[in-house]
Amino acid sequence: MFDLEKAIKHWRAILNKNSALEDGYKEELECHLRDKIDHMISLGSPEKKAYEEAVKKIGETDSIGAEYFKTDTRGISGLPPWKKSRWMPPLFSNYIKIGLRKIKRQKLYSLINIAGLAVGLACCAVIILYVTNELSYDAFHKDADRIYRVATHRINIVGEFRFSTTPGPLGPELKASYPQVEQAIRVVPPFENASHVLVVQEEKRFFENRIWFADKDIFELFHIPFLQGNAQTALVNPNAVVITEGMAKKYFGEEPSLGRALQIEIDYDTGIVEIQDFEVTGVVKNSPANTHLKYDMFISMPTMTSNLPSFEEDWLNHHGKYTYVKLTPTANAADFEEQIQKIAKLCAQKYTEKYNRKMDLNEFFLQPVTKIHMYSRNMREIEPSGNWYYIYIYSIIAFLILLIGCMNFVNLSAALSTTRTKEVGLRKVVGAQRRQLVWQFLGESFLITVLAFIFAFGLISLLLIPFNQMAGTELTSAGLKQPIVLLSLFGLLLFVSIGSGCYPALILTGFNPVSVLQGKSAPTSRGARAQKFLVVGQFAISIFLVICTFTVFKQLNFMKGRALGFSLEQKLVLRVQSNLQHLRRDFEAIKEDFLQNPSITGATVSSSVPGDDTDSGYYLTSRAEDFRNAARLKVITMDYDFIPEYEIKMVAGRPFQKKPGNDEKEAYLINLAGVKELGFSSPEEALGKSFMAHYHRMTKRIIGVTDDFHYRGMQEIVEPLIMDIEDSLMNTITLSIRVENMNELMQFVKKRWDEHFPGVPFEYSFLDESFDREYRYEDQMGRLLGIITTLGFIIACLGLFGLASFVARYRTKEIGIRKVLGASTTNIVAMLSKKFFMLILISVIIASPLAWYSMNKWLQDFAYRVNMNLVVFFVAAGGALAIALATVCIQGIRAAVANPVNSLRDE
Amino acid sequence: MVSKNLMAASTKPMILSILASGEIYGYQIIQNIIQISGGTLEWSEGMLYPVLHRMEKENFIRSEWKISDNGRRRKYYRLTELGKKELQKERKQWMSVHKVFSRLWDPFPAVE
Repeated sequence: MFDLEKAIKHWRAILNKNSALEDGYKEELECHLRDKIDHMISLGSPEKKAYEEAVKKIGETDSIGAEYFKTDTRGISGLPPWKKSRWMPPLFSNYIKIGLRKIKRQKLYSLINIAGLAVGLACCAVIILYVTNELSYDAFHKDADRIYRVATHRINIVGEFRFSTTPGPLGPELKASYPQVEQAIRVVPPFENASHVLVVQEEKRFFENRIWFADKDIFELFHIPFLQGNAQTALVNPNAVVITEGMAKKYFGEEPSLGRALQIEIDYDTGIVEIQDFEVTGVVKNSPANTHLKYDMFISMPTMTSNLPSFEEDWLNHHGKYTYVKLTPTANAADFEEQIQKIAKLCAQKYTEKYNRKMDLNEFFLQPVTKIHMYSRNMREIEPSGNWYYIYIYSIIAFLILLIGCMNFVNLSAALSTTRTKEVGLRKVVGAQRRQLVWQFLGESFLITVLAFIFAFGLISLLLIPFNQMAGTELTSAGLKQPIVLLSLFGLLLFVSIGSGCYPALILTGFNPVSVLQGKSAPTSRGARAQKFLVVGQFAISIFLVICTFTVFKQLNFMKGRALGFSLEQKLVLRVQSNLQHLRRDFEAIKEDFLQNPSITGATVSSSVPGDDTDSGYYLTSRAEDFRNAARLKVITMDYDFIPEYEIKMVAGRPFQKKPGNDEKEAYLINLAGVKELGFSSPEEALGKSFMAHYHRMTKRIIGVTDDFHYRGMQEIVEPLIMDIEDSLMNTITLSIRVENMNELMQFVKKRWDEHFPGVPFEYSFLDESFDREYRYEDQMGRLLGIITTLGFIIACLGLFGLASFVARYRTKEIGIRKVLGASTTNIVAMLSKKFFMLILISVIIASPLAWYSMNKWLQDFAYRVNMNLVVFFVAAGGALAIALATVCIQGIRAAVANPVNSLRDE
Repeated sequence: MVSKNLMAASTKPMILSILASGEIYGYQIIQNIIQISGGTLEWSEGMLYPVLHRMEKENFIRSEWKISDNGRRRKYYRLTELGKKELQKERKQWMSVHKVFSRLWDPFPAVE
């Protein structure tokens, strides 16, 4: 008897064999079959016939399956044909699992990889932060592309100059007469050249150095957000001051500061310094780090004009007066620049009228505000400009470190690839395509890079501390949130993971599965060559950095150790920033007061001390009142005690002497460079010659010539210098001390200070310390290089360590057999190290000329420099070789002393 | 009998046309075709399902499992908006082909 159900079950079993058919498909087909059978039975067919007919009609199950398969499979997904493909590569979770398992299982190698990459990435991230910050200066102002500073280009008898400054009345004139000027404002510091402005609020007295007189519209031109007060009216009235929130907190704490009083000491260029009362009319946000015009307070311009009415008429004096304009959107900057030359010509005319001297050229030019930081090379720039040189150097160093890290990764993965041949072979056998496997390994390197990134983020804040100190920046890890930085970091992530993952991926996936699974090892000669190349690269970079570091330190020691030509030890320097009149008038009495303490053995007053970045100079002429072709000499004005106190050596003539005679009115000293500058062939020839100085228009005689002492530090060549007794420039007291009880001495000095300069903050420094600060940049660069070189070297050595340990493990059996056959430990260590030794030697050969070239270039910046000699190279190369070999040997010895029985038994 | 190639080409527009009249399941589609063609079109019935499956993947039709009165689970198909548009397209193409043939084989071609 025919059993329909059984027959259908049988048919269904055939369907089940077809793997392309999913349950749903089969059910649908079965439903169709049953419908058909029911239909035919209802038409009178017997069950068996109906079944056979229906089965026939439905057709070959294989071809149905094939048809479904064709529909379902789009490309190679590796998924069962009936599953929808996902956006993620298939087996993704498996790859992650395997990747993490590998990291966990090979802890040492993973640690080396991740640590190396993390350090490299952190360095790069810091540099990215630095570069973005440098390039983003003043871009945050609204319509920054329309804001310009007007600057002066001038040629006169003295030379060619570009000043950042322009005459005071220029701003209002531009706004009044030129329709394309939307806004024009001026900023002026309260003291010309002075960085210390005394601010008093009841008991609180501080020196501030970022205070500006500013026109009331400054808040419209620059982006300076108001927190309290009215931006339109804040700077309208005289004696109004707008302060930052930081200042508000400093002077008023948590109390409201609006409407409160502050006293500020101001020099109106009239020779009289006044302390005046101000009212706080506004509080603004703190100055951002990336503006060339950093600020703490703005004083209203009417304060200036009411105290110094000539300010608005003075077309000649431009010192310390900065003019900014914002042009209308349609204005053409070049045309505007052309038009304002008219004013420049008028200025030149006025100059000629007043001084009866011609100016060869006087022009105004526009500087886009966003370009000031990186491109302005003007005199009297508000703050030191950015330097492309540093950007390049830092970028290169960071990149090199990253490269070492990446090379580590590539090298170790390539070496470890031999342990993964089986996995790859198996994957290939079960149908993995090469492309899939490449994705898998790229994914693994991505995973490692991401982990490295996580560590790097921790390192960044650590690295920023020394970096900020060195570069004088205020970078924080908060800057990482900027979109451009994030984008760069993401780019870096991709670059590193692809760059370092590519090569291992290609090697690993290149194995022939058949030979791998048969147990033959994969051919590795190509891989081995690449690994050698990478080791050479790593060590070439490391040795390059080592040589650079050595040279920098050598230069530093040279500079610090070289005889400066004056005494630096035990000098306490007091800076008088306020109440200078008292110092200049009564310095002899003040000195006497200090000298009462037996620990103070000497005292002298001068305009600057060695190590100061003196910029003041005298123009000297031998013909009265004619300063054409005048010689320019830097100047230090001093009292009679300066030369003996600083133990400066005389080459000819005599130092200043109180008696007999009148050196104050009649005598100059010059240094040897000055002799040459004034056109004399010998110091003796210069003695007795008279010169007039532009500063005080007095004619004095040269009575002595000093040695070329390094009054500006070792980086700079000793420039021509004139020494003069001239009270009006003095501002510094130097005390020679004999320290027995420092505390007691400082208390004494402070007491005397307060007697003479009540209310003036007591600021002191020790000359040797501040002189060390002169080398701050080199010092910090040396230290940074030292840190980075050490890091780079450690990473490279770690890589080498990993590689050597791998090689040793890989050759365990060979070593075992060699030992059994009688090889000694030394033989085996030598055998294992020889190859590495050669590689490192090659690195030395590559790195040396490169280092020689770059360090020679760097040294050109120094007036007094060490010679590059072979010793540095030998020390660096020898050191590198020794450390690298030690690394390799540790592994070699471990392998060599292992009991051969263990390694040979293991099969 | 219709050739295999023609069969393959016409299956999709036919299914679309049949579904245009409403929700329907596989067996009914076959029955409809047989009825309309008077038995001249004969499909290997099982092959209908992969085609339906592909059309569903291409978003021309949607399917839904339903339990019929006799307790059998059936998959019902209906047209999507995209399918309706596709049907219009197919229709235009087939009609233009049809026009050409009907002109060519017209026993009384127009005299120019």
